[in-house]
Amino acid sequence: MAYHSFLLEPISCHAWNKDRTQIALCPNNHEVHIYRKDGAKWSKVHELKEHNGQVTGIDWAPESNRLVTCGTDRNAYVWTLKGNVWKPTLVILRINRAARCVKWSPKENKFAVGSGSRLISICYFEQENDWWVCKHIKKPIRSTVLSLDWHPNNVLLAAGSCDFKCRIFSAYIKEVEERPSPTPWGSKMPFGELMFESSSSCGWVHSICFSASGSRVAWVSHDSTLCLADAGKKMAVASLCTETLPLLAVTFITEHSLVAAGHDCCPMLFTYEESQGTLTFGGKLDVPKQSSQRGLTARERFQNLDKKASSDVANATLDTLHKNSISQISVLAGGKDKCSQFCTTGMDGGMSIWDVKSLESALKDLKIK
Amino acid sequence: TRRRTGEALRAFHTAIRSSPGNTRNQAMKEQAQGTMLKVLTSFKSSEIEQAVNSLDRNGIDLLMKYIYKGFEKPTENSSAILLQWHEKALAVGGLGSIVRVLTARKTV
Repeated sequence: MAYHSFLLEPISCHAWNKDRTQIALCPNNHEVHIYRKDGAKWSKVHELKEHNGQVTGIDWAPESNRLVTCGTDRNAYVWTLKGNVWKPTLVILRINRAARCVKWSPKENKFAVGSGSRLISICYFEQENDWWVCKHIKKPIRSTVLSLDWHPNNVLLAAGSCDFKCRIFSAYIKEVEERPSPTPWGSKMPFGELMFESSSSCGWVHSICFSASGSRVAWVSHDSTLCLADAGKKMAVASLCTETLPLLAVTFITEHSLVAAGHDCCPMLFTYEESQGTLTFGGKLDVPKQSSQRGLTARERFQNLDKKASSDVANATLDTLHKNSISQISVLAGGKDKCSQFCTTGMDGGMSIWDVKSLESALKDLKIK
Repeated sequence: TRRRTGEALRAFHTAIRSSPGNTRNQAMKEQAQGTMLKVLTSFKSSEIEQAVNSLDRNGIDLLMKYIYKGFEKPTENSSAILLQWHEKALAVGGLGSIVRVLTARKTV
């Protein structure tokens, strides 16, 4: 497991380029910094300064190599590399609250922005006027949209919100694409159509993810639950009340396995059993360091008892790689159906790359289906 | 005695099962809270673990809600026994069960 400490402050968000040689991240301020891998080191190669508020979302389109960023300044910018300089283009989102998340669509001809304005801005490029325009999806969203993920058909969009619900909308834009063919989520997909809405959990939906095929969507909420809706089973929802602190990020690594991480600072495996429609916890993925077991003096034992009412010193330091909450997970290699590598960034300013094969051999009881 | 333990366990399961699910009726809630507190305080320390292990995930979450409700309105010796229940419930339900007490929109 490769861990690199970029900052002493939280990494607000990150995105990788296509060949995974560069990472763009927000160092908890108004800027985006791009680092390039130089052997074992990371060197900062660009600083993108345009936002007037914290950058809350970054996405890097793999084919067209364009970046899109959004921030609390209620703006989004599309960045294009001209020579060795990233040039920003402002996109008017028509929102009056902070933007919170942004995602390019699979074909990279649209992107979606979730915001505190309780709506989703679907942005596409209008050739005639040479600028980006946007359409809004509003109903029936009642609070901030915290996370978004596109279905592989480039039309359906899953949104997780602070109104405790996960929803799937159609973001069909007739100006840029053909009418989509039917999917297990429905056949009629006019713009803004609500295809699926979960019943209320009791927590803000922090992160949401479609499976590689698009027939399943999973989300994690602030009430320490993980849920999955299966379109192949008439949109039946399986949910798991976890024993952990709330999870903040989730991704599929196969059609049946998910990795999620959050305030417990370590990624965890979850498995979806299709036949029974259940989600189960598959284990923590952080291989603990061999902690040095030095003996405690009698004085130290007494001090521990006095300070913490316990002579157990095991919880004094975190055993996990990340020393603070993990806020984002991204798939690096293998896609969401055969993920072989994924990346986590967190509030400790660190970035960690996890190798699935190494995890499988290091953790004997791990079963990734 | 084993008979007394069996009765306490049955009373416990009945209280869990008949917890008013989705009611705004404050009187009903308070009655259920009172009943649950009586049942929880009637247990001997050694019997708590067995009772906790007999619950499913939803039962553990519900128990945690009642434990915290009991903390809110302490009686003379209630907190001591509730802390023991809390320790055993936490071992099974983890921090997630406490998080769900904090985020619950339907309180007990």
